[in-house]
Amino acid sequence: MAVAEDPASTETAGSSASRALIQDRIFVGATALSAIIVVGILLGVIVSLFTGSWEAITRFGVGFLWTERWNPVKEIFGAAAPIYGTVLTSVIAMAIGVPVSLGISIFLTEICPPRLRRPIGIAIELLAGIPSIIYGLWGFFVLAPYLQHNVQPFMIDHFGSTPLIGALFQGPPYGIGLFTAGIVLAIMVLPFITAITRDVFLTVPTLLRESAYGMGMTTWEVVWKIVVPYTRVGLVGGVMLGLGRALGETMAVTFVIGNAHRISSSLLAPATTISAAIANEFTEATSPIYTSSLIELGLILFIITFTVLGLAKWLVGRVESY
Amino acid sequence: MSTLYSQRRLGNAIAMVLAVAATVVGLFFLAAILWTLLAEGLAAATPALFVEMTPPPGDDGGLANAIFGSLMMTMVSVLVATPIGILAGTYLAEYSRGSLLGEAAKFINDVLLSAPSIIVGLFVYTTLVVPFGHFSAWAGAAALGLIALPVVNRTTQDMLALVPNTLREAAAALGAPRWRIMVFVVYRAARSGILTGVLLAIARVSGETAPLLFTALNNQFWSTDMSQPMANLPVVIFQFALSPYDDWQKLAWGGALLVTATILVLNIIARSLARTRSN
Repeated sequence: MAVAEDPASTETAGSSASRALIQDRIFVGATALSAIIVVGILLGVIVSLFTGSWEAITRFGVGFLWTERWNPVKEIFGAAAPIYGTVLTSVIAMAIGVPVSLGISIFLTEICPPRLRRPIGIAIELLAGIPSIIYGLWGFFVLAPYLQHNVQPFMIDHFGSTPLIGALFQGPPYGIGLFTAGIVLAIMVLPFITAITRDVFLTVPTLLRESAYGMGMTTWEVVWKIVVPYTRVGLVGGVMLGLGRALGETMAVTFVIGNAHRISSSLLAPATTISAAIANEFTEATSPIYTSSLIELGLILFIITFTVLGLAKWLVGRVESY
Repeated sequence: MSTLYSQRRLGNAIAMVLAVAATVVGLFFLAAILWTLLAEGLAAATPALFVEMTPPPGDDGGLANAIFGSLMMTMVSVLVATPIGILAGTYLAEYSRGSLLGEAAKFINDVLLSAPSIIVGLFVYTTLVVPFGHFSAWAGAAALGLIALPVVNRTTQDMLALVPNTLREAAAALGAPRWRIMVFVVYRAARSGILTGVLLAIARVSGETAPLLFTALNNQFWSTDMSQPMANLPVVIFQFALSPYDDWQKLAWGGALLVTATILVLNIIARSLARTRSN
């Protein structure tokens, strides 16, 4: 191919150089255009979400954010319940997922016998690639029935009447709900956060680590006083990337959340999240204002996740440029 | 002195036990999921799964139309996303050099990489479904393409960064124009790395459900018309799993195993490709 295109034998050197210049312009222009497409996608998403939700924005105003009612028949829509569900399931997921991920990362970088390090690391990375619908499927068929019959009755009996936190554990054991969704999300973000925190831990210079051990520090002291402070920014970034995943996750949650548009004080009650509401109701939305309200939910989710992911990216980027 | 020492040792022991426990618990749950998937999925894995259509409730059937639909949409999406992703990655790794467009596109691409896929679905719905008045496989492929693009873009950037500058300089010193340096020298050096990115993009796209729910929708029947709704594995899994019919739930597990196995195989190939490169 290179020979067939080579014009040097028949043309003068000058015109071949100018042809190369034009080809260069076309090539570099095409790459720049592709980069513009990437930026254009984001702008397109923003514009389409705004135009799609304009009807709901003008009709409900900012009150949309704190209205709990969601009544397709009377065409009154409010985002409070899905926002609450989105935030709470993600908080539960982070509360469980982050400590466990950190534990696994500490195990992998400090304790694990070198022979097991690679296989476990690879397994974690492969698990991070499993689609979220599988987690949802498992949550729906295995975890939810198990929690309903074995765990939730216990929680209701033993914590239900406790002062202060008792309200979190009341009502019948549905199996599906905020609590179950939070656990499924936690399991889903686990490999993801672990893969990042492990990589961040590995950025600690060996010299620093070995000096600390040489001073007589225990493994835990090395982790807590050397590794964690050194990787602080990257850790927060990794956790926020996981949070971004959890906030926007659709399929893992939709199966087990119960799709109920209400804010209940109990963690065991069915609820909904922004993405679950869109996934469940979008194709059933019959009136334009219903569709528009669902798109406005999408817009809210976009703003929340974009902020979280942007911050995470900024923090992780600061680590990479060390 | 000795109490402080034993306190430190105790603290260390507790922390280490907790770390091991976290690993055991975490791996247990992940193994439990894979185990259920394998047990339920293998029970549903019959030859009929690949040759018969999605059945009405209570009837025998398979997932042939859904498998075909998924293959079609994945193929179209990756075929479109790959050249754009590679070119954009080339610009960001080679030519942008701190320009505003370069910095913005890098940042936006990384955010798009983990942006909620359901938002992509909403975007495609408003731009490709509403104007044409109906759901279509084209819209589904477009949604998947938007998810594949950032993956290809990011891996291309990373892989081009690994190509030694001396190669570019040597080619430039021979008088090669910039496009020739890229196409005949740098892309060749980074070939397996870029291929890894494409495989990762296919893996990522194969399991995506949310963006297909209201773009490609679903189709009970065999359809090869990309301008009509088309069955696809993820949406069929979603709908069949939530149905009250045992046959449908069984098919959902079969589909889930198929999707997961495909993704695992793609990921493993991608990893071994990346490793041969780094060796």
